[in-house]
Amino acid sequence: MNKLFTFLVVLCGTVAVAQTTISGKVITHKGKPIEGANVFIEGAYDGATSDSNGDFSFTTTEKGHQTLVITYLSFETTRIPIEIETYQPQEWKLKESVNTLDAVVITAGNFKAGDNSKAAALKPLDIVTTAGAAGDIVGALQTLPGAQIVGESGRLFVRGGESDETQTYIDGIRVAQPYGATANNLPTRGRFSPFLFSGMTFSTGGYSAEFGDALSSVLLLNTINEAEQEQTDLSFMTVGLGLGNTQKWEKSSLTFNLSYINLEPYQKIIKQHVDWNKPYQSLSGETVFRRHFENGLFKLYAAFDYAAFDLNQKDINAPEPIRVDTQNNNFYLNSSYKGNFGSGWSVQTGISFGYSQNKIGLELDKLHNRENASHLKLKLTKKFSSRVHLTFGGDYFITDFDENYNEYNIGVYQSGFRNNIGAAYAESDIFFSKNFAAKVGVRAMNSDLINKSSIDPRISLAYKTSKNGQVSLAYGDFHQNPKLEYLKYHSDFDYEKTSHYILNYMYGSNGKTLRTELFYKKYSDLVKYDSEMAMFNSIYNNNGYGFAKGLDVFWRDSKSVKNLDYWVSYSYIDSKRDYKNYKAEVTPNFVASHTLSVVGKYWIDKWKSQLSVTNSFATGRPYNNPNETAFMNGKTKEYNSLSLSWAYLLSPQKILYFSVSNVLGSDNVFGYQYANSPDLSGQFQRQAITQPADRFFFIGFFWTISKDKSKNQLDNL
Amino acid sequence: MTKVITSLVVFICGLAFAQGPSKYEQGMEKALGLWKENKVAEATAIFERIASVEKDNWLPNYYVALVNTIEAFKSQDKTKNPAYLDKAQIALDDATAISPNNPELMVVQALIYTAWIVQDPMANGMKYSSKAMEQYYKAQVIAPENPRVVFSKAEFEIGGAKYWGTDTKPMCKEIERSIELFAKFKPETPFHPNWGLDRAKEVLATCGK
Repeated sequence: MNKLFTFLVVLCGTVAVAQTTISGKVITHKGKPIEGANVFIEGAYDGATSDSNGDFSFTTTEKGHQTLVITYLSFETTRIPIEIETYQPQEWKLKESVNTLDAVVITAGNFKAGDNSKAAALKPLDIVTTAGAAGDIVGALQTLPGAQIVGESGRLFVRGGESDETQTYIDGIRVAQPYGATANNLPTRGRFSPFLFSGMTFSTGGYSAEFGDALSSVLLLNTINEAEQEQTDLSFMTVGLGLGNTQKWEKSSLTFNLSYINLEPYQKIIKQHVDWNKPYQSLSGETVFRRHFENGLFKLYAAFDYAAFDLNQKDINAPEPIRVDTQNNNFYLNSSYKGNFGSGWSVQTGISFGYSQNKIGLELDKLHNRENASHLKLKLTKKFSSRVHLTFGGDYFITDFDENYNEYNIGVYQSGFRNNIGAAYAESDIFFSKNFAAKVGVRAMNSDLINKSSIDPRISLAYKTSKNGQVSLAYGDFHQNPKLEYLKYHSDFDYEKTSHYILNYMYGSNGKTLRTELFYKKYSDLVKYDSEMAMFNSIYNNNGYGFAKGLDVFWRDSKSVKNLDYWVSYSYIDSKRDYKNYKAEVTPNFVASHTLSVVGKYWIDKWKSQLSVTNSFATGRPYNNPNETAFMNGKTKEYNSLSLSWAYLLSPQKILYFSVSNVLGSDNVFGYQYANSPDLSGQFQRQAITQPADRFFFIGFFWTISKDKSKNQLDNL
Repeated sequence: MTKVITSLVVFICGLAFAQGPSKYEQGMEKALGLWKENKVAEATAIFERIASVEKDNWLPNYYVALVNTIEAFKSQDKTKNPAYLDKAQIALDDATAISPNNPELMVVQALIYTAWIVQDPMANGMKYSSKAMEQYYKAQVIAPENPRVVFSKAEFEIGGAKYWGTDTKPMCKEIERSIELFAKFKPETPFHPNWGLDRAKEVLATCGK
């Protein structure tokens, strides 16, 4: 019996002690030992932590084919299939994770506003707390280098490009009509309220093959993926009222906002340079619905906007001011789905529909137009590994535009067009290492009207030169259909074209960011015509050309002085073009050689207040003076505008907000309108194109009602 | 005879293993011990190994998340914190997938958000404070008597109240209540979350002062 027992114990021992030693060394790609890496057999308790030499050793009772797992903070988790019996001690190289905050990022051309984005130059809140921006997304972007200040327009003009060379996207889907209605030479605003968006990318050139039909720039806005909480927002402003509400459910949420703006009471008190019969009024609203699925997210965004105004505009060619009476209806619907499937696949798909209708009365004449614009998108991404991604997809854009011009007692002129654009693209993101990355893509486009295909190669590279610095290079070709104002009269066009060359250096460390960018942009095949204005009977061609080159500098520092966050943007640009009805290659009237913006935000803890200052300066812009023989030889005086704002938090949920734009009342002149014919003395008379008012004052009270009392509407300002 | 011996071997060997603590228990004990000794990387390593075996148990991932979040709070070097918090978030997501609607996991999620706020108050404060509160509200609905839920929520609210100069008394009362709840609290197993009493006493000592 004793013997039997001994036998059994020994047998037990062999069952339990059938162990194999697994040992080796964990090192970095450069051969440096890694201390503290966790090495173990998946699905077993057996494992060890590497020592200061990177060595590890442990015993296991597992047998046969197993997976050896090695994990280490900010390195990629490595899984190695091994066979226990034949395992030999060896060195294992770990790759640094390219998803970490200090990995290289392609930054050429891009400004990002996001939460944890590595290349973020702006934070989402900046859009709404920048003085002078007045809660307008475009207004805030105008304080970044690369964007021109074009005060009579309010739109984005990027690096010597016109405003329609920029395309706007929401959740990857195009917005055909991003700006609100306005009259000639009066600034407009973006239609979108900033607080529905969590991240945005403003590209000033060299952007991804995913986007096209834009010569200069893309603005990418992403709606918030998940509502934070149920809440109601009320706003009482000197210019109107606002109401917002968010509801949340288990997997979905719904946000809507409504605002009514009426400038009449304000303009009764504050003197305007514009003679309004009926000041600007609008009723607008937006809604976002989000639904989370196990592997994806569906979003629906819809916005409507009704605006009306009536004013008398002075015109140098008319003895009396011309009465302009405008009504605009706009509707935009965007639905998108983003999800993962299979192994490493993700899909993004969506559709948008935009409808815009303008009814404009010009004295007794009537101008009516209507645009329907849709975008269908499908994008697939395959992640082969964390280092190689391939993206490919297609777009289909449909634009349908009709215009009726009813000249009083004379007749009706009709114009319009329908254009379908198909596009396909493929692009690959490759991380060669944590310090070197590339994005290589190509985009093809074909439009019905042009009836030609274009091929656009795009390439960008980024290389990390030091712990905090990196260099990026980008090259790309960009084609765009001629603008609506030409297509409605004529269709025998070619695409307009640009090529971008960008060299970027970025340094970022501990709350300080320096970003410098040199660019060269070559324009070709620009549309030219032979008349005073683009008309139905003008003769058009694609013989225009031009260039833009310059330097952009951006410096932001939120650390050096406590509670102070400031940035400085400087742009130098040299741009000339011969297009439209130009007589020579000259600097166009929307380009100022030097632009400087300084934005500061100071938080005063004791007063629970944020003070914000923005000063924008630009050198004079060219204008054409027909009294001179040289074309486009005039230069306006410099532009300067100093704006202040003060946000006072009465309590966590109540905010009082004051702002004044152009505090100093600088009498800025954007250009001149000249008479079509000379007066008796042989001189062409002119009138200045100026600001609608010297200053703009704003007072608002914002109140958030929610269960969580810490949330407020600072976001909305 | 062979059959008898075989079954005996199986029986006795089985008995021999069953008597000692299981590998799971050994591992958890060792890891918790290492964590107490401040050996964070080693503790995390063992929790990770346990998680790779115990695919239906949320506890090992819970501790990976908790250990790394606490580390981010303690760390002097802010540049390392994103890595800790990313690691914590991934582990917490895995734990939540195993055990949804778990108030203990919600508390850790709120702590991760709080750590992001501490990391960069200007950029993250607004966004993550409401997210953290949302987690506390959710947890409170499920487990109104869980001492960690009551305490963590009150501690988080004290931060805000101090800033606004509003009264912290209601939160101090909540912390007192949490201490009573801690006394009554019985973890399901020795490895279930059972922390917080010491910290609650500490906070109460300075509460309202």
